[in-house]
Order: sequence, then structure tokens, then C-alpha cells
Amino acid sequence: MTIRSDEAAATLAEIERVVAKVKQSRVYRTTALITIVWGVVNLARGILVALWPAAFGPRWFLADLFGVAATIASLWKLPTRGGRFPVRFLAAFAIVYSFGWIWSHVIGQFGSREAAAFWPMLFLLGFAIAGLLFGWILTAIGIGLAALVIAGYLWSGGAFALWQAAVTGFGFIACGLWMRRS
Amino acid sequence: MNDGPDEVIHQPVRLKIMAALTALDPSEEGLDFTRLKKLTAATDGNLGAHLDQLARAGYVEATKAFVGRRPRTTVKASAPGRAAFARHVAFLKAIIAGA
Repeated sequence: MTIRSDEAAATLAEIERVVAKVKQSRVYRTTALITIVWGVVNLARGILVALWPAAFGPRWFLADLFGVAATIASLWKLPTRGGRFPVRFLAAFAIVYSFGWIWSHVIGQFGSREAAAFWPMLFLLGFAIAGLLFGWILTAIGIGLAALVIAGYLWSGGAFALWQAAVTGFGFIACGLWMRRS
Repeated sequence: MNDGPDEVIHQPVRLKIMAALTALDPSEEGLDFTRLKKLTAATDGNLGAHLDQLARAGYVEATKAFVGRRPRTTVKASAPGRAAFARHVAFLKAIIAGA
């Protein structure tokens, strides 16, 4: 069998394309898992706070603590390269969360409606930017869900909490499932 | 040893299969049949035939299991398969370097 140099170059390019696709699917798989976990957390938190505001309004952070614990547990169980814990995913999550906390508590003085719009949009910004590096689906999810959050903030009136529960709950779960299939 | 192409690996579908499987770490569980089908754009029968050929050469190992009620075939590159693929890539690079 004789292989010309242009054939060899084309074959190597094909190998690179397949390897990039496998790496992208690994990113999607990890992100999908975290997205689904937070979709469930957001949905549960949103419904509890909307239906029983007196009981769950001041305790919304319990859902977030559960979400952080579930994120770490899920990442722990995920088979990864070299069997290592995906520290970079957790570090990215911690960095975004820290920036958000500083903006919302130190620099900005957000009301509850603003905070409810700000936090998902902050993480969706991360999705939109990560998509430019890892795959267009993340960008589509980031921009699409952020547009729905803005629409709810502007026009949903008193139903904003339920709107957010649907967008960041069902929306995240649906997007996570979409990523898993991609 | 870069004295020639690996004829088992060089076929386009088998090349894609090996590229995908060797992109994973040996500690990872491998890729399932459905994912491989998507990556190679092959049909069920075609992919199965190429996997058989790679398995006969000792380059891949397939594991069949049930997830719930659904059968699931997971394929992994063997150590000789990884070495053969690395040699084939080195051979291709040598052709380009020598051109």
C-alpha cells in the first residue's frame, strides 16, 4: 500500500477531527450532568419559594447548598480522563460563584427580583463563552436561556418566580438532556 | 517501527474508530456502540463488521452488558491497539515530513 503525502495529511486531519469530537463530547457529558442537577435544584427551589414564600423564602440557600453537594457528588462519580476528579469544572464553578457574590453583595445592591435574574444569567454567560471554545450548543443554551430570563424579568410581572422556576428548571434539564445526546 | 501503514487501521471507518477510542484514557470505560456510530457515520452492520475486524487483530475489546433492559456494547482500545495506532500516526507524519 502506498500513501501519498496529501493523503497522509488528509488522514491526520480526519484523526484530529474525530479526537476533537470525542473531547467535545466529554465536555458536554460533564456539563450536561451539572446542568441537569441545577435544573432540578432550580425547579424545586422556585416552586417551593413561589408556593410557600413564608416558609421557604428565607431558606432558599438550602437548595443551593444541596445543589453544590449534588454537583460535587455527581462529578465524583463521573468517569474521567485518568480517573481524576474534574477539578477544573469545580474551579470554574467556584470562580463564577465568587465573582457573582462580590457583584451582588458588595458592588451592587440587588433586590430579590434582580438577584433572581442575575444569578442564572451569570452562569449562562459562562455557558455562552465556554461554547466559543468547546461547542456551539453551549453558546446556544447560554444565549437562549438568558433571553428567556430577561423576557421574564421585564414582562412576567408577579409570576416571575414561577417563570424562573420553569426557565432555569425545565430549561436547564431540557438543555442538559440535549447536550447528552449531542 | 514506521516501515509501512497498518492495513487494518488505515481503512477510513476503522481509522475513525481507533482515533476515537485512543482519544480516551485507558482508565476510561470506552465508547458505546451508539456513540461510535455517530462519530464514524457508519451503519450498524458496517460498524459491527469493522469492529469485528479490529477485535480479530486484537486492537479493540468489546464488553456487552445490560443497562436496565437495554443491551449496551462498550468498545475500548487494547494496549496493542493503542501501540499500533501510534505507529500508524507516526508513519503518516513521516510521509509528510519526507515530502
